[in-house]
Amino acid sequence: MGVLDAQLVPAVDGVAYGLLLFVVSAGLSLAFGTAGVLNLAHGTLYAIGAATGAELSDGTWGGLLLGLLAGTAAAGGAGALLAAAAEPLARRGHLAQALLTFGLALIGGNLLTAVFGSDELPVRVPGALDTSVSLLGHRYPAYRLVFIVMAVLLAAFGTWVLTRTRAGAAVRAAADDPQMLAATGISPRLVHTGVLMAAGALAGAAGVLGAPIIGPGPSTAETVLMLSLVVVVLGGLRSLWGTLLAAIAVGEVQTLGVSLAPDLAPYLLMAAMAGALILRPQRATAAPEPTHPEQPPARRTPALRTPSAATKANKGAQAIKGRSAAALSRIAALPRILDGTPAPVRRLTPLVLLLALLAAAPWMVDAYTLSLAGYALALGLVAVSSTVLTGYAGLPVLGQTAPFAVGAYVTAIAADEGFATVGPVQLALAGAAAALFALLTGPAVIRARGVTVLMITLAIGELTRTAVAQMTSVTGGTDGFFGFPATRPLWGAEPLGDEVGTYQYVLTAAAAVLVTTVLVLRSRAGQLLTGARSAEARMRASGHPVSRYLLLAYIGGGALAGVGGSLLVVAQSYVSPADVGFEIAALAMLAAVIGGTTSVAGTLLGVALIVGTRDWLSGAWPGHGPLLLGALFVVSVYVLPRGLAGIRMPMPGVTARSVPPPPPASAPSRETVS
Amino acid sequence: MLHISGLTAGYHGGTVLHGVDVEVPPGTVHAVVGHNGAGKSTLVHTVAGLLRPTSGTVRLDAVDLTGRRAHQVARAGVGLVPQGRRVFAGLTVAEHLRLAHRPRAQAGRRGTAWTPERVLGLLPRLAERRTNRGAQLSGGEQQMLALARALLGSPRVLLLDEPTEGLAPVIVEQIQGLIRTLADEGVASLLMSPSAALARACADTVTVLTSGAVAARFDGDEVRADPAALDRTLALTPTE
Repeated sequence: MGVLDAQLVPAVDGVAYGLLLFVVSAGLSLAFGTAGVLNLAHGTLYAIGAATGAELSDGTWGGLLLGLLAGTAAAGGAGALLAAAAEPLARRGHLAQALLTFGLALIGGNLLTAVFGSDELPVRVPGALDTSVSLLGHRYPAYRLVFIVMAVLLAAFGTWVLTRTRAGAAVRAAADDPQMLAATGISPRLVHTGVLMAAGALAGAAGVLGAPIIGPGPSTAETVLMLSLVVVVLGGLRSLWGTLLAAIAVGEVQTLGVSLAPDLAPYLLMAAMAGALILRPQRATAAPEPTHPEQPPARRTPALRTPSAATKANKGAQAIKGRSAAALSRIAALPRILDGTPAPVRRLTPLVLLLALLAAAPWMVDAYTLSLAGYALALGLVAVSSTVLTGYAGLPVLGQTAPFAVGAYVTAIAADEGFATVGPVQLALAGAAAALFALLTGPAVIRARGVTVLMITLAIGELTRTAVAQMTSVTGGTDGFFGFPATRPLWGAEPLGDEVGTYQYVLTAAAAVLVTTVLVLRSRAGQLLTGARSAEARMRASGHPVSRYLLLAYIGGGALAGVGGSLLVVAQSYVSPADVGFEIAALAMLAAVIGGTTSVAGTLLGVALIVGTRDWLSGAWPGHGPLLLGALFVVSVYVLPRGLAGIRMPMPGVTARSVPPPPPASAPSRETVS
Repeated sequence: MLHISGLTAGYHGGTVLHGVDVEVPPGTVHAVVGHNGAGKSTLVHTVAGLLRPTSGTVRLDAVDLTGRRAHQVARAGVGLVPQGRRVFAGLTVAEHLRLAHRPRAQAGRRGTAWTPERVLGLLPRLAERRTNRGAQLSGGEQQMLALARALLGSPRVLLLDEPTEGLAPVIVEQIQGLIRTLADEGVASLLMSPSAALARACADTVTVLTSGAVAARFDGDEVRADPAALDRTLALTPTE
């Protein structure tokens, strides 16, 4: 009883925190489930509401009401803008939309800072509530109790709309079958806009009311986005009750958990998440297929339930025949292709040219640019691992920073312990550790498809970053890890000292790994992955263990990112959680998209463009780095529908045997069988 | 009257329909018979606005529907009963009816208004299943629900894509009867069928579609007078 009594205040806090997360997460989940938009700007919508509310709060009821109206309207309007911005990309799939929302979040965050400043904003609750009341013998802030009531009302209202009104029925129908909703006379586009607007309004209202709980500040948007993402993954998509339960659980972990076991709390969230990912029923959070208004309802699972399933699947297959036929015919013709040596050589040409150019860099650029290039190469490996998984395996990953972090920290810690200071040993160690990490997390990832993969991998990446930041004694926490001995490139060689030597080591290692990657992709393995991506059901039906291929690809991608992490540590002589944060994962994915999602050399060029924008251009316009980067995201997804590879001139004679490029920047679809 | 003329459409650059002409006068049933892959569903999707034609026109009386979006086509008076029913799995029967009912659709339109009550009068089985979700219904019930959903938009023309697919004979008969009843009430139907039987049972006109083009056209009475005529034509058309 004593423990219960002492923990009453944090436990009630947890309820308030959980309800706040529920209101926010419900909007995220709704936009994701209905409109298929993984809205990475959702936290920004909350921040808009919180900042507006804080700005207008003056300790009166009128101020709160005014703030509530203005904050809700502003965030709802921003949601409508998001819907309008994402709409032209709807046919390109979830990945392009997710990257767009991330770009808009970067821009929005920068604008919020410009308007409201970069400090935490003070929030004044109405005078009557700025007091504490007695709660079973404890003093408890009155505002929080009132907030709990308001959040329950808000949640109840939202639930009522969704489950009891015609508009709610339209939203659920749009999630289920947007084409049929349209054929019933209701525009799914209108519903999608409405959903994003409502989600924005909910987040804005939550921001105004919850400002005294998660206050407006520079990290608000990210905190809220990550926590609501965890809630959505934990709670599943289809059930509001699941979301509610998960939100309260996360709230309690953040309050009661911290109070009871301050050392363990960060891991509790990760453990809960891991448990949910492993235990959740197959495809519990399966998202709707990307919908293409002008395509036949080819891949709709429900149609496969009808007795003429075979017929239907056949007809549906016509839609993707173009893409998969080429892949399948290539698999059938494997021996011939493997015999022909010119193909791999041709495939390697752009990469070899690029690497040759990079090898000449020390004689062409200054030391700062050279160190930037070394960093870009390390990041390049993460980006290439995203390319392999997205473009070949069809798993759009936003969490390749997790194996990247594992490789980086393993390298740094091993060097610090004096355990491994020789380059090849470090690389092998980092690659192996990252591969092991991928082996452990892979089963949760490869079961999902499409936008769900984005969400799960994002969560894995973010939790890894959190864990790294929390394990202060091992990793140095947010201060970063430094002071370990420099790497020796080979046994018996001198430790790396100057920029040129470091750069050459990084380039050599990266070149070896990249050439290997391209050769593997060019071999039968690449063909099998392409087949698994474009015609999963047929690959399974012809006896291919598709899940095993995907897991192997995920492990390979993990090892690649891990080696990148090792090179990052060498290039920077330093590593911190900021190096492995979500932004880096998004950058890696954007580089893959800019490169066309199937081109290794294109991906590296994408990284160069991104690092150049972030570290060069932003120097010319201080304080607006995120804005520039966000603009790069937005421009890239609009202007480069097929990436840099798309603007390449077709070469005569090459096209006959090359794979038709899949629509990049879209979460590649699969045939599904229920 | 629904006019489809010179309709050409396909997917990913491949052409499936090659200049198809079909007319459906008010209150009549026009059956399109063809093998799998002949282009029946493509025809339905193109008329319904789910697929954009590359050339040709679709008109409902004076209104040009060519290239309009699906919800605009539906609002103009074309109801879709798709292949595989495609009822909303998570919505109850009552929610389907409420969602699909567009009272304003009847304003200024000929014929009588369709209300949930009137639809349930025609399809009494649905009334017993009001609180069941789409996924909990039998195939026949789902077909009734898909029909009810289309009717509540008060369409002048129904597009029925293999409406008897996979259903028990007794239900098939019931649906054939419904199609005739609706025609007598002024709701025309464009009916897609892989078999000649359904066309014989309720069509006023029969078009045979082969490889995306019109191969033959019969009068409904002609087909009923000589049941073998349609079968012969179908047997002669290549199945791809």
